[in-house]
Amino acid sequence: MHVLILLIEILILFAIIMLHVAYATYFERKIIGHMQVRMGPMRVGWHGLLQPIADGIKSFFKEDIVPEQADVVTFRAAPIICLTAMLTSLAVLPFAKGWVLADINIGLLFIFAMSSLASYGVILAGWASNSKYTFLGGLRSMAQVISYEVAMGLSLVGVMMLSGTLNLTKIVEAQGGSFAGMYVFPQIIAFFVFFISMLAETNRVPFDLPEAETELVSGYCTEYSGMRYAIFFMAEYIGMMVMSSIGTICFLGGWNGPFEVAVFPPFWFVVKVYLFMFVFIWIRATLPRYRYDQLMSIGWKVLIPLALGNIVLTGFIKAFTG
Amino acid sequence: MQIQYKPKRNLLQTILHSEIMQGMAFTLKQLFAKPITRQYPQEKPEIKLGFRGQHALVRDQETGQSKCVACMRCVTVCPSRCIHIRFHEDEDKGSRVVDSYDIEALRCVYCGFCEEVCPVNALILTEIFEYAAYDRESIFFDQERLLANWDAFAAMKGVAINSYINPFWRPRGIPESVLTAAKRLDVPEEWTIEGQVVGNLVKQDQ
Amino acid sequence: MTRPISKTVNVPVADGDGERYTLKMGPQHPATHGVLRVDLELDGETIIKCSPQVGYLHRGFDKIAENRTYAQSLILTDRLDYIAAMANNVGYCVAVEKLLGISVPLRAKYIRTIVCEMSRIASHLLWLATHALDIGAMTVFLYCFREREVMLDLFEELCGARLTFSYPRIGGVRQDVTRSFIDVLQQFVAEFPVHIGEYETLIDTNRIWLKRTVGIGVLSAAEALELGLTGACLRGSGVDYDIRKHRPYDAYDLVDFEVPLSNDGDIYARYRCRMEELHQSARIIQQCIDQLPPGPIISEDAPDLVMPLQGQRKVEAGSSTYGTGLIRLLEEHGQYPVGDIYVSTEVPKGELGFYFISDGSGRPYRMHVRSPSFIHIGALPALAEGSMIADLIANIGTLDVVLGECDR
Repeated sequence: MHVLILLIEILILFAIIMLHVAYATYFERKIIGHMQVRMGPMRVGWHGLLQPIADGIKSFFKEDIVPEQADVVTFRAAPIICLTAMLTSLAVLPFAKGWVLADINIGLLFIFAMSSLASYGVILAGWASNSKYTFLGGLRSMAQVISYEVAMGLSLVGVMMLSGTLNLTKIVEAQGGSFAGMYVFPQIIAFFVFFISMLAETNRVPFDLPEAETELVSGYCTEYSGMRYAIFFMAEYIGMMVMSSIGTICFLGGWNGPFEVAVFPPFWFVVKVYLFMFVFIWIRATLPRYRYDQLMSIGWKVLIPLALGNIVLTGFIKAFTG
Repeated sequence: MQIQYKPKRNLLQTILHSEIMQGMAFTLKQLFAKPITRQYPQEKPEIKLGFRGQHALVRDQETGQSKCVACMRCVTVCPSRCIHIRFHEDEDKGSRVVDSYDIEALRCVYCGFCEEVCPVNALILTEIFEYAAYDRESIFFDQERLLANWDAFAAMKGVAINSYINPFWRPRGIPESVLTAAKRLDVPEEWTIEGQVVGNLVKQDQ
Repeated sequence: MTRPISKTVNVPVADGDGERYTLKMGPQHPATHGVLRVDLELDGETIIKCSPQVGYLHRGFDKIAENRTYAQSLILTDRLDYIAAMANNVGYCVAVEKLLGISVPLRAKYIRTIVCEMSRIASHLLWLATHALDIGAMTVFLYCFREREVMLDLFEELCGARLTFSYPRIGGVRQDVTRSFIDVLQQFVAEFPVHIGEYETLIDTNRIWLKRTVGIGVLSAAEALELGLTGACLRGSGVDYDIRKHRPYDAYDLVDFEVPLSNDGDIYARYRCRMEELHQSARIIQQCIDQLPPGPIISEDAPDLVMPLQGQRKVEAGSSTYGTGLIRLLEEHGQYPVGDIYVSTEVPKGELGFYFISDGSGRPYRMHVRSPSFIHIGALPALAEGSMIADLIANIGTLDVVLGECDR
């Protein structure tokens, strides 16, 4: 019985997240459109509201092309690895008090593990396509994820030190319900490092090098078409949502807000996640793209030293203030 | 003139990312600006007078036929050689009679030379631009189709067709003395050499 | 005023023992501006050897022109640099006028100067749009198109077409300007510096933009001259050469403008030069509007479109499908001066030259187009070798090539 309930919960979560992913693409296209004095999708439904559904149906019915020289098994498995890893990390996210599938004590580590695993999908996709653009995209992704994973992990060490736990629910509870309790204030440096690494981890502008369309056509997913391409796309958006959730949980106080919304407890959580998403999109509409070696030097020469400094600083503060 | 660069950003600006914040503020401002998109099939663009679109032969209101006199000037001037005219000479009147007048619109480059050289304003590139088709035959215009194109254009223009003057029939700023009698149309003053637009500084001198 | 950040090149040097591979970039690549193909020999992401392959858009303009009259060939120039067709039209007409010894009325000269500068604005806006998009700033693209649209609308009002204008005529222009055209243009020119400021807000001092452009693709003045670069690519390296200033045609000697120069010779310098040229173009247009004199718009001795003027052969009745008058015109000598001539004008991309050999018939015996894009593509190996793939994209953008003009 318990398993059945859990399965139903998983299905509900899956459906809701997929709907959010679909509408996150709509959200992105609309906002970028209006920032560029355009309108974005307008044709399918009122103001293009049904566009994501039309896109989904279209990509589902498109031909699934596998290049002749590709490593077929790996080629087919890569998008699934990506999506599965991303979806699995959703299990440990607390959307509100008690609204979590698996309230495990190493939630933060689990998410790191899963997001690293997702990058395997990208690398395998790049390698299996047997194309030079995808290969370069895969290589770039590998290097990028490895360097920025370090910076991101170190930036969250400060949060762990303050809260004394890796359990995501407890991190939120440690921040308390008040505005001033949010870790973004004592951990401003960590937040900065986390935010930049978050952009790099999710392959977003200005660090979208693995899929830089003006350099590598479409990077690691150049050879993909139809539903498999759409799966990569979904994985990327789920990744954005997971990272935004981590940011919300670790720095912005999770589901706590100025007032309780009794009807829908995760209200403030969703608002904060969408705030992050908006900033993602906003940055994409504004900034140019870094070069590959510049991205690396920022990661290793700026962000990691900053994160390490932050750990030392947090340690001192914690030691002296108790 | 040597280019002047903007000053180098200082440490505070580097930490605050001031120049990036300025850019972000600008895009945020544009988020609430009015989009410039034109929803094309619903909102048609405003076509300016003299647009070089679909070909037509002007239907003479008196005879109901084409005005063409088979002088072959359009055939001669056409850079893409897309106009084909066949004619015979009427022995009684001593004038030419057009047997066929064909325009291969798919070959045309829409330069407008033909309507400009036509001495009797028989030919026009109309303001109609939506006439794509699935087969080549339907974009090969013979005389009937060219006249029908004119009727369609006249219907689009409505009453205004009576006062319609294409700028290539009677080019703006060309003295009447160099034009044939049929091209000396009654045009707005702005189109004549006397009424042409001159600069502010020139006006002050006069 | 100093450079925004230090001019160091952070490109890792290939150690040489890595495994090399080739990458054929293009002709369907999104950032190669049309149908350019670049054959790259890569070591990792570092370009060891780069050789641009052109010719995918070859249409044989020089040869087609040999079978057309001078007036008819005007339409070919629309299809050279289709971003700024008006400047090509004017360049062609200036060349033919020099061959025929026709002097253009002053009013026509001013109108041509206006449309040339309008097309420079349109071309530079498209360059900025695509260059920024290549480097990743996707929003500048649409802001630039917003203003370019105004230019195209004005061209449509003036000559009835938005891309293939065929507006100037040998000896003048086809249509006079209207009051509404001048009014809209006046308003545009007044507002344009604000719009330039908007583009600059997004990229000019942006640290990412600076990192991607400063110190990348450096060419010294001597190298730029050796490669035959013209236009903003040459002026970005500090060589003061602008045909508008040094061999003025049309009304350029009657207006006051500056030629922007920079000694740095990198992508950022060329970017700054072109941005400054936008300001100068607006300034030239403003002066031309103010000084626009009254008078005829086409010279009295300009050749008629349908040539020859007198003694047109009688067209046979019956099966005529193609102008026999034209055949006579093409074959008969003694209608035009005999000799050869090279005339160049400053189009937005650089120096556009037309070389004619005239045998006295109504068509050129030989026409050659010196198109800036073709020569600029030749500079790509010098700019890109030793840098990374991302820099190659920036370098293609900074050369401002149009493949229609390059392949002809």
